[in-house]
Amino acid sequence: MLQKETKEKLNFSYARRLEQLPGYLFVEIDRKKKELIKQGVDIINLGIGDPDQPTFPHIVEAMKKALGNSQYHHYPMGTGLEQFRQVSACWYKERFGVEINFAKEIYTLIGSKEGIGHFPLAFINPGDVVLIPEPAYPVYTSSTIFAGGTPYYLPLLEKNNFLPDFSSIPQAIREKAKLLFLNYPNNPTAAVADKRFFEEVVRFADKNEIIVVHDAAYSEIYFEEEKPLSFLEVEGAKEVGVEFHSLSKTYNMTGWRIGFVVGNEKLIKGLSRIKDNLDSGVFDCIQVAGMSALEESQEAVEKIRQLYKRRRDVLVEGLIDLGWQVKMPQATFYVWTKVPDGSSSAQCATKLLEEAGIICTPGKGFGPSGEGYVRFALTVEEDRLKQSLDRISKVSF
Amino acid sequence: MANEKNFSVCYSDKLKRLPPYLFGAIDILKKAAYDKKLDVIDLGMGNPDLSTPKHIIERLCDTLGNHPRSHRYPQAKGMPKFRKTVAQWCKNRFDIELDPENEVLALIGSKEGIAHLCMAYLDSGDIALAPNPAYPVHFNGILLAGGTVYDLPLLPENNYLPDLGKIPEEIAIKAKLMFLNYPNNPTTAVVDNLDFFKEVVSFAKKYNIIVCHDNAYSELCFDDYNAPSFLQVPGAKEIGIEFFSFSKTYNMAGWRLGFVVGNAEILRPLEKLKSYLDYGVFTAIQLAGVCALKDSQECVKETVKIYQKRRDIMVKGLNKLGWQVKNPKATMYLWVALPEKYKHLSSLQFAELLIEKTGIAVAPGAGFGTYGDAYVRIALITHNNRFHDALLRLKKFLK
Ligand SMILES: Cc1ncc(COP(=O)(O)O)c(C=O)c1O
Ligand SMILES: Cc1ncc(COP(=O)(O)O)c(C=O)c1O
Repeated sequence: MLQKETKEKLNFSYARRLEQLPGYLFVEIDRKKKELIKQGVDIINLGIGDPDQPTFPHIVEAMKKALGNSQYHHYPMGTGLEQFRQVSACWYKERFGVEINFAKEIYTLIGSKEGIGHFPLAFINPGDVVLIPEPAYPVYTSSTIFAGGTPYYLPLLEKNNFLPDFSSIPQAIREKAKLLFLNYPNNPTAAVADKRFFEEVVRFADKNEIIVVHDAAYSEIYFEEEKPLSFLEVEGAKEVGVEFHSLSKTYNMTGWRIGFVVGNEKLIKGLSRIKDNLDSGVFDCIQVAGMSALEESQEAVEKIRQLYKRRRDVLVEGLIDLGWQVKMPQATFYVWTKVPDGSSSAQCATKLLEEAGIICTPGKGFGPSGEGYVRFALTVEEDRLKQSLDRISKVSF
Repeated sequence: MANEKNFSVCYSDKLKRLPPYLFGAIDILKKAAYDKKLDVIDLGMGNPDLSTPKHIIERLCDTLGNHPRSHRYPQAKGMPKFRKTVAQWCKNRFDIELDPENEVLALIGSKEGIAHLCMAYLDSGDIALAPNPAYPVHFNGILLAGGTVYDLPLLPENNYLPDLGKIPEEIAIKAKLMFLNYPNNPTTAVVDNLDFFKEVVSFAKKYNIIVCHDNAYSELCFDDYNAPSFLQVPGAKEIGIEFFSFSKTYNMAGWRLGFVVGNAEILRPLEKLKSYLDYGVFTAIQLAGVCALKDSQECVKETVKIYQKRRDIMVKGLNKLGWQVKNPKATMYLWVALPEKYKHLSSLQFAELLIEKTGIAVAPGAGFGTYGDAYVRIALITHNNRFHDALLRLKKFLK
């Protein structure tokens, strides 16, 4: 009786921004996976973009050493250690040839996810339109909704090399649009963008006064001579946008939670004012570890690329042998492939899970244009990939 | 051509609603003083100067070196071991029962938890009750979420407890959240027993308000005082949650680790919101937190002893100079009314004058809210022998 009364009275209604969210796809997959693991099934998880290799040892050592300095135990500066920003700017200059003013054009993040997640809060008012590619990493949509913005989706289609087609955006939408998310090398399609595309983006953004947010989380996971570009390499880009970088994938540091954003000073200032009220920055010791990652030899990163490349070759060639329609990805550690029998992505994923004990990600979870595709992550050992192929060959599509 | 046009960047209304950052003015003066090579004594910031205990650091090193799985994405809500340890700590410390699965959530410091909780509950125009003065995230978190702050004045005549009877009925009916914080930053006030919290519980139940108690200073208690948990009150868990932090207790401010406990229903949307915004706390740091909570608490006693000694020096010293200040029972601050001679100044003017004339930086009370404007907050945070130095300078200043 008492409980019922309290239940009726106490109604902890959530903020609308939470009610408007689409379902979170990784949580769903996790639930199914757990079920099967409970049943004792040997699952091969090709579903989650989390490197399986440990953080490079010299980075771990740098962290341990930094812990000895009690200065680093205190509250960090929100913007990050000056040295971390300097080192990041140097890395950026070396890698992309772009000058970054470490005092104003860079900000340290607790992983790029939170930076992307909080960025729209600084710029988006209710009713503002945000242009979001789809299929895409889900955080662009959730961060837009959290800020009260309205997503307008830009389909990424294979026939356009998974680049959005700006000419298809109606004038009325362009006028209301305030922000555009982009992500190359792309999760989940593994597509890369060329310079011409980024030039088009700058023209489009400049003309329509739209802020560009480029997510470059996979910039260092590439397999071709020609490395992925930074958005800021294009003339005029720094006037219209920022680029998010992450140490997660490059240095096997997903757990450490460190990344940074570079670009337009005023945009970074806006994000910093939001974050000043939301968090206290990144543990200085982790920033020192991050410095060691960015500053010291990049040989270990090259080894990681080679490792993913071998895995990619095994999986893609194997899938092609099995009759799947799949292109060799040039970057990221994902393989984005058409579902073999034309069924839905969810049907395919469920089939692979139930009949082969393989977890992949159904493309539709990244957006409607992902329908008909599934994503495999190359984050398991080569022999497990071979085993996966073996199991897939026994599934009747 | 494209570059000639001035691309305009316009901040969101949410951002524009934030009050000016008052401590910024002090930061500028502090920097000017440092630039002039003046010997600044910084008592402005609540940033613990002591080091994290060695055994906690060692645990982190061990995890990093020997458990590479800890390098991968953490479990966002906190690993089971962390949540279990927190529940056990709460049981030992406050004798409260918590279900580690649903009633505990790991945080990247309690600050983000407080701010994100506002985003999980408040829509534009929703009312939330926040003490004034307060830790600024309590009101800025509300503003950033689009909510409206209704001030609960903390007045000395009320021992810095809000007078719930003064809240108009229509406000109480509309309010969705209420923030409280004892031991209090900045006023250093404490609750002597559970009476006030009991009053809060019945008020919150009557009006369907979620109570968020911020207990960041629960372990920094002096003399014989021992701060209670809000959740010790019968029925509190039906309407409330409580935030805790490792920052002050274990001198781990830089590590960014905290937790929130309490009503599972209330915590659920926070967990959900966070799952879209972050990936949780580095596993290796969670395990260091487990070590902090589980191992001997001698280190906490040591820390308390140090703050208590500093408190004694400063309280005695200030009173001797005729600057009346009460002996706080907890926290690492002193909350002092402006000296008689300077009562006509605002707290910001006074703080500016003080740093100019003496090189001592304090936090102007107005930075914590309008009701703080007749005060400054002195943090007991600098090397022990600097306090004597500070008192000498103040003696000259107050003459
Ligand atoms: C496209 C994309 N951006 C950002 C992130 C987040 O990375 P971080 O670990 O830096 O938060 C991910 C992680 O999966 C990603 O796929
Ligand atoms: C009352 C209060 N709550 C919360 C915090 C934030 O602590 P944390 O370091 O856990 O984010 C502080 C820090 O100064 C505080 O004074």
